[in-house]
Amino acid sequence: MSPSRAPNEVERETGHGVDLWRVIASPIIWALHFLFCYVFVAIYCEKLGRPTDLTAAKYWVVAATVVALGAIGWLTLGIWRVRARSVTDNDFEFEHNSPEERHRFLSHAALMLSILSAVAILYVVIPALYLSTCR
Amino acid sequence: MTDKAEEEQQLAKVWETPKGWSILSDVNNSTVGKWYIGASFAFMLFGGALALIMRTQLAVPDNGLVSAQTYNQLFTLHGTVMMFLFAVPIFEAVAILILPAMLGARDLPFPRLSAFGFWCFIIGGVFVCGSIFFNSAPDAGWFMYPPLSTEQSGIGADIWLLGLSFIEVASIAAAVELIVGVLKCRAPGMHINLTPLYSWYVLIVAGMILFAFPPLIAGDFLFELERAFDWPFFDVSRGGDPLLWQHLFWIFGHPEVYIIFLPAIALLAMIIPTFAQRPIAGYSWIVLSAIGTGFLSFGLWVHHMFTTGLPAISLGFFSAASEAVAIPTGIQLFVFIATVMLGNVVRTVPMLYCLGALASFLIGGITGVMVAVAPFDFQVHDTYFIVAHLHYTLIGGMLFPVLAGVQYYYPFATGKTLSRKAGIWSFWLIFIGFNVTFLPMHLTGLMGMPRRVFTYGVDRDWGLLNMVSTVGAFIFAAGFLLFVWDCVRPKRKEPYAARNIWNAGTLEWVGRVPADNWGLRSIPQINSRYPLWDDKDLQDNIDNGRGLLADASEGRRETLVTSVLDAQPVQVLRVGTPTWLPMMAAIGLGGVFILATWKLWWLTLASAIFFLGVTLYWLWTGTAQIPEKPTKDIGDGRELPLYVAGPRSTGWWAMFITMTGDLTAFLSVVFGYFFLWTVNEHFPPQGVDGPGWQWPLVAAGLTLLTWGAMLGSRLTNAAGNVVLARSLIIAGIIGAVLTGLALMAGPWTTGLDPTLNTYNAIVWALVVWVIAHLLVGIIMQAYCLARSIFHRLTPTHDADLWNVTLYWHFVGFSGLLTALVIGGFPLLQ
Repeated sequence: MSPSRAPNEVERETGHGVDLWRVIASPIIWALHFLFCYVFVAIYCEKLGRPTDLTAAKYWVVAATVVALGAIGWLTLGIWRVRARSVTDNDFEFEHNSPEERHRFLSHAALMLSILSAVAILYVVIPALYLSTCR
Repeated sequence: MTDKAEEEQQLAKVWETPKGWSILSDVNNSTVGKWYIGASFAFMLFGGALALIMRTQLAVPDNGLVSAQTYNQLFTLHGTVMMFLFAVPIFEAVAILILPAMLGARDLPFPRLSAFGFWCFIIGGVFVCGSIFFNSAPDAGWFMYPPLSTEQSGIGADIWLLGLSFIEVASIAAAVELIVGVLKCRAPGMHINLTPLYSWYVLIVAGMILFAFPPLIAGDFLFELERAFDWPFFDVSRGGDPLLWQHLFWIFGHPEVYIIFLPAIALLAMIIPTFAQRPIAGYSWIVLSAIGTGFLSFGLWVHHMFTTGLPAISLGFFSAASEAVAIPTGIQLFVFIATVMLGNVVRTVPMLYCLGALASFLIGGITGVMVAVAPFDFQVHDTYFIVAHLHYTLIGGMLFPVLAGVQYYYPFATGKTLSRKAGIWSFWLIFIGFNVTFLPMHLTGLMGMPRRVFTYGVDRDWGLLNMVSTVGAFIFAAGFLLFVWDCVRPKRKEPYAARNIWNAGTLEWVGRVPADNWGLRSIPQINSRYPLWDDKDLQDNIDNGRGLLADASEGRRETLVTSVLDAQPVQVLRVGTPTWLPMMAAIGLGGVFILATWKLWWLTLASAIFFLGVTLYWLWTGTAQIPEKPTKDIGDGRELPLYVAGPRSTGWWAMFITMTGDLTAFLSVVFGYFFLWTVNEHFPPQGVDGPGWQWPLVAAGLTLLTWGAMLGSRLTNAAGNVVLARSLIIAGIIGAVLTGLALMAGPWTTGLDPTLNTYNAIVWALVVWVIAHLLVGIIMQAYCLARSIFHRLTPTHDADLWNVTLYWHFVGFSGLLTALVIGGFPLLQ
């Protein structure tokens, strides 16, 4: 049950490669972005009163979104190509018993979570674009 | 062959279950797991009986079966029991039972901790449930909103708070056990990409518990301070805000829905491939969607608070996240459907329950997307539409999968089979009864019937729909009773089930029937996700002891610890043997919580001292034992260490995980501070100048010194300078005492009265929190000192000191942050 290999691929050593922290990095960025948007706007509206215009807060939310998406994009670039092959090459099963296969599996999960996190961030920012006051 | 027979005898002797009454002292995962499941189902039947009384009361308009007061207790206890005493514990119970076998471990890493969790659960559960027989059950709804619960409820609210805080201890204990179990106790070769999906779900859910339960513990802490000592966190007249409770409750409450849901559909991820007779279609998609759901579920809590008057933009954020969570949830369901479509489905009872689960959960999920839209929620909030929605998600997403799991794992757990005919009958009765009960409730809700009313007038036209629901509830109950009867009826005369009766592919089915206490005869090398399908020699190799750790020659219970990613064997872990200590400790801790309900402070203190004594004895005699030899041959010519300290040890990880949960709780109290700042125009209030910055600054300095002393103690001990290490521990103890005094000096010398306003109260709450942790830290320091003096802690065997230093990292951080917040933040105003 040895996995097929790309021509210039090397055998990965035990314990090296993408780890579980890397897998949850993008969702953590989502969480931080979400928390920032919510806490920032909540304090903004609570302290300035309900009739307040939201424009100033929107800039902050959009800036946070750009930073968050940038960070996720950077993380994604890092895992898109794994040791001379794309993580979307070959099969999606990742069912072989080698450290390389484990690494590719975690990379795939991390990549998909990056996409999900980016989509969720975009979802969250939509209401900020449409609402105009703190009411 | 005689060697092999001798090995088997050793294993049988070492892993023997205690006989007679002593069986109650057992800690083996298969025994405790079965008790845990049985107790959860018993509580579930109790909660169901409460529901039937409510349905009978609502069957006709203007009914007088129960009074409004009794009805309040009924619905509060029904919700509480189903959520806290069934839905969450059943996850822990099933995981404790099946996880070791699935991973190829002999037991979980901390079997005594599992037993402790179980006893906490049963004592707390009986206490909370029993209250209704004394007409003093909690009656303010299962989410206990103040001011109703702080101003009006009798002792019921205290019973709820303290009883459940106690049960939360069991959940966090289970989270520690399960995270370490999944990450460190997999069979050799079981890389993280070959780990059974159930284990992935367990890992994610246990991680969620660490961030979801602590906010509720923090909430309970503030709530009980208000109830017992009149500290006004939720009292508007003194600057508090009831919404603070709602936030803390739902930061827990919404992830909890997924904490219930994910491990239940994890069972589907095991059952469906077995009966489709093919591997799951899209393993990594399940993993990513489970992780995604785990994260997104923390961004939903305000959707329970859409009608509390928050700004529209806040509602918008949470509405958007509530819609987004449908994406990963949907992926999981599509993977299941794809697996069924691609395979040749075997028609069995567990599969019937799986399909029932998918169909019911889909309806609950879709109404969930509806109520995530804020304007729609405004219309149906607190009506029977919500009652229908939540029962479809919980029964479809949790009850049906769990029943499927019971049907599926029954032969694994007991060695006997359930009746196919009874299974089919019970399924259809439950499925039809459930839909007849809850489908009409959508309509009842849209017609305006609010939840939690004990009766209604004839002119409302809700009578017919309610009668249909009541009839459905009794059909549901009949099906459930049939199910339970099939499980508990005596089967002594029936033959044992065939080995691997469902022709499943995962490791838990390789065991003999009836099951051996020691789990697997020997621990195999794993090379694929479905080893029983892919490796035809596996069973034979295991049975003949041709794997690792095939003996117990030193007469100790042992299991393998492997590395996190690639499951390389790194240690032989000696696990706990049967003992009464976990039960005694649970009784002691239970006494603390129960006696505090009646404010019997001296007895509470006595119970706390008993708990402390038992726990210390348990630790002293059972943990970090220096082995008689440094390494052990596990077969295959490999020698593995028997003693490991620091980040490579299971104990260090257990401390790290526990303290992560504890830190979350602390940060929730800090969140309370800043939340109260946002809702008050003047915070600190005008005229209040405490606690000043001077004493908090002193406290911060002392915290750093204490923290440094503990770190220095660990380093000098490891370098062989035992005398200096002991001196540093003593310095640490003195430092901790002084830190506590300095922290108290700030609010004390400036005369902050915590009952006067919410600012004073939250400052004191933070101080009390840290002081409680300092006290525990001092006990730990003294423990290390004693261990060192009695040569149980040496420069080469220093696991205790590693773990205690880790504890101090967290306490040091909490102390610093507290000093900074209470001393520094008022300066910014």
